[in-house]
Order: sequence, then structure tokens, then C-alpha cells
Amino acid sequence: MENQSPRFSVGDFIALTNQTLEYAYTGVEVEGEVSSFKVNQGKFVFFDLKDATGSIGCFMMVFQLRIPIEDGMKVIVRATPKLTNWGKFSLTVSQIRPSGEGSIKKSFELLKAKLTDEGLFAPGRKRPIPTLPSHIAVISSTQAAGYADFIKIIDQRWKGMKVDVAHVQVQGDVAADQIIRALRYFNQLETVPELVVLIRGGGSTDDLAAFNDEPLVREIAASRVPVVTGIGHETDKSLADLAADLRASTPSNAAELIVPDRVEMIRSIDRQLHFSLQRTEDAISQQITSLTESLGGLSGRIEEIILAHERHLQHMIEVIALVNPRSILKRGYAIIRGDPEVGSSIKIETLQQIITAEVKDVNQK
Amino acid sequence: MSTKNKTIKEKLAELQLLIDWFDSDDFVLEEALDKYKEAEALAGEIKKDLETFRNEVTIVKKDFSTE
Repeated sequence: MENQSPRFSVGDFIALTNQTLEYAYTGVEVEGEVSSFKVNQGKFVFFDLKDATGSIGCFMMVFQLRIPIEDGMKVIVRATPKLTNWGKFSLTVSQIRPSGEGSIKKSFELLKAKLTDEGLFAPGRKRPIPTLPSHIAVISSTQAAGYADFIKIIDQRWKGMKVDVAHVQVQGDVAADQIIRALRYFNQLETVPELVVLIRGGGSTDDLAAFNDEPLVREIAASRVPVVTGIGHETDKSLADLAADLRASTPSNAAELIVPDRVEMIRSIDRQLHFSLQRTEDAISQQITSLTESLGGLSGRIEEIILAHERHLQHMIEVIALVNPRSILKRGYAIIRGDPEVGSSIKIETLQQIITAEVKDVNQK
Repeated sequence: MSTKNKTIKEKLAELQLLIDWFDSDDFVLEEALDKYKEAEALAGEIKKDLETFRNEVTIVKKDFSTE
């Protein structure tokens, strides 16, 4: 009896096996610990994924590596199983992410250290956020509560602003790439917005993992439009926050930092107008005081002049009184008129009388 | 100066200049009343804008889920 088993060439068998594997394990995820991690020629990444019971070789391209990996880290890979032409079984990895709090933290710290060394988080790179922006861009999921909070607070606080919103996923494997595309979109506009706000409400560490994605962090740092982040809660601080020009603690806080409160602004305008009016009134008061003082000075000077004239007049009166013949007569003196020659007659005037007398004798003193 | 087509930001900047004038060395009583009237009118316009304007929120049509 003839053998009914199918017969293949080696190549066909490998191809068929790969087809079967691809069909059976489309987008399978495998969790394990990384060992023998290495990058060849700066392009090809090789490592083994192992647990207590076994080990599988993994391969991926370096551009697909979005987080720092090192031996001992627990990771989840999304991969396609593959049999190579040399009969070796491996996983062709399309995505890799840390698993478990320890590995997530380790990955975060490694990337943070790397980007810090490159100066991506340096305070000197931060640009000032424009005050009273008239055109902003928002990158968020329009279904997210954080987005709704942001828009609500913006509407309460300020008016007349153009807000362009890019709807993206803000968690999951595709989130980082969508946010990157949105950032590029706003940066490439002919008229760029004055700032870009990246919004995402609270969530678990895993939910917020996209904001620690290396390409996304680099895109934020490279943005020509200043970036404000409002991601998660007060205690969540992602690498995207560190790369942003301004980090708000929450989406609502981002709205508060971007625009002033119009009610407070109206109060401030009223206060300033009041001060301006007060300044004018003060100037008027000063002018009046100054004029009054000037008039007061003038009046005093006029009084002094009058007084001086009065004193001079009084002095003159006294002098005149002193030389008044009548005053002399009052003191008992007499006025003699006529030539005092022997035999001639002279007139002697006293206070009360005029006496005519004959000169009997004249003696020289 | 007409403020009809100006943004709130531009009007606020203009108002600030007027307000600053009152505290500057350029202040002269003869001009103060006119400046004050101008500032008061501008402040009124800004308040009205802040009461009546709306933010214009537009969702970008581009699909960011693909390249």
C-alpha cells in the first residue's frame, strides 16, 4: 500500500509551517523575561524570552524598539511565530512593552536617564507659553472625560479662541503613533497654532504608558509649537511631561494655565480704570494745592510790601512831625522874623502869639 | 483708533498702554480726561467681547489612525 502522507520539499514545508503558524497565532502576545539582549549592526535586535519552563529566540528591527530593554526585564511582546530557513524557531516581534511594575519602572528610568543625558528635559529648552492665545491645538480623545473637563474649563474662563482638536487614541499600542501624527500635523500647518495641548485624564500606569514612548517624547521635544501636557493626575509624571514646555497636573489645570479667568480679568480692568481715575483726581488735587500755595505766597508777599510801605510812611510822618514848626513852638521855642539890628523891629512868633519888638542890643556869641 | 476688527488680546494690549500712560512720566493733566474716556470705552468693548464671544472648537477631519 502506498504512503498517503503529504510530501514536501524542505522549502515548501517551512513555508507551509509559517503559513499555519501565522494563521493560528496572528498577533499573539507572549510574556517572559529578556535574556541575551543584543543589537547587531545598529539595526537588528535579538534576545531570548524565557520563563521557568523554556526559552524562545526573538527578533525585531531596532526602529520597532520604543522603550529601552535590558536583560532581566519582564516584557510582553506582540509577535508572529516563525520557522527560519535554517530550521530555527523564533518570534518576529512587532511590539514590545515592559510588564509588571518593576519592569515598567526600570524601563522608565532607563529612558529618562538616556533622554536626560541628551538634554531633552533641560530647563533651558523650555519655551514660554504665549499669554492670551487666540489659536490653540488640542490632541486628545474627544470621548475622554479629561478632554470634556478641559473644554469646559476653557469655555468658563475665556472667550474668542480658536481651538482645533485632533481626535486620537490616548491609550494602547497605537496611541503614541497617533499622537505623533497629530503633533506633526499641527507643526506642518501653514499657520501653526500658538500652542499644542496634549490631554489625557487619569488612568493606570499601563493606561498612561504611551506617554513614556521614546519616539513620542522626542517628537514633543522637537515640536516647533510649544507643547503643554495635562496627563493623568497630579502624581502621574510621564516623560512626555518632562519634554513638554509646560506640564499641567491635570487636563483642568492645563486649561487654567493656558487662559486667564475672564471674570478676574474684568475685575482687574475695573481696578486699573479706577486707579487711572484716581491718578487723574490726585493730579487735579495736587494742581489745586499747588495753585493755592502759590496764591498764598503771593498774598503774603503783597502784605509784606504794604507793611513795609506803611512802616516807611509812619517814619516819614514822625520825621515830618519832628520838623514841624508848630511842634517846636509847642515845646516853648519862638520864631523870630526880621533883621536883628539895633533899632529895627522884629516879629516874635510863639505858639499863641505874634509879638512885634524893637531890637535894643545885639551881641555876638 | 478703530478697535472693531481687533482681537481681545490686541484690545487688552492697547488698554494696557493707555493704563500705563497714567503711571508714566508722559502723564499730563490736560490729556488725562481724554485718555481716561478712551480707556473706559475700550474696557467696555473688552468686557462685552468677553461676555458675548464664544470659543470656536473644530475637530480636525484628518484620520490619525493611519499614516
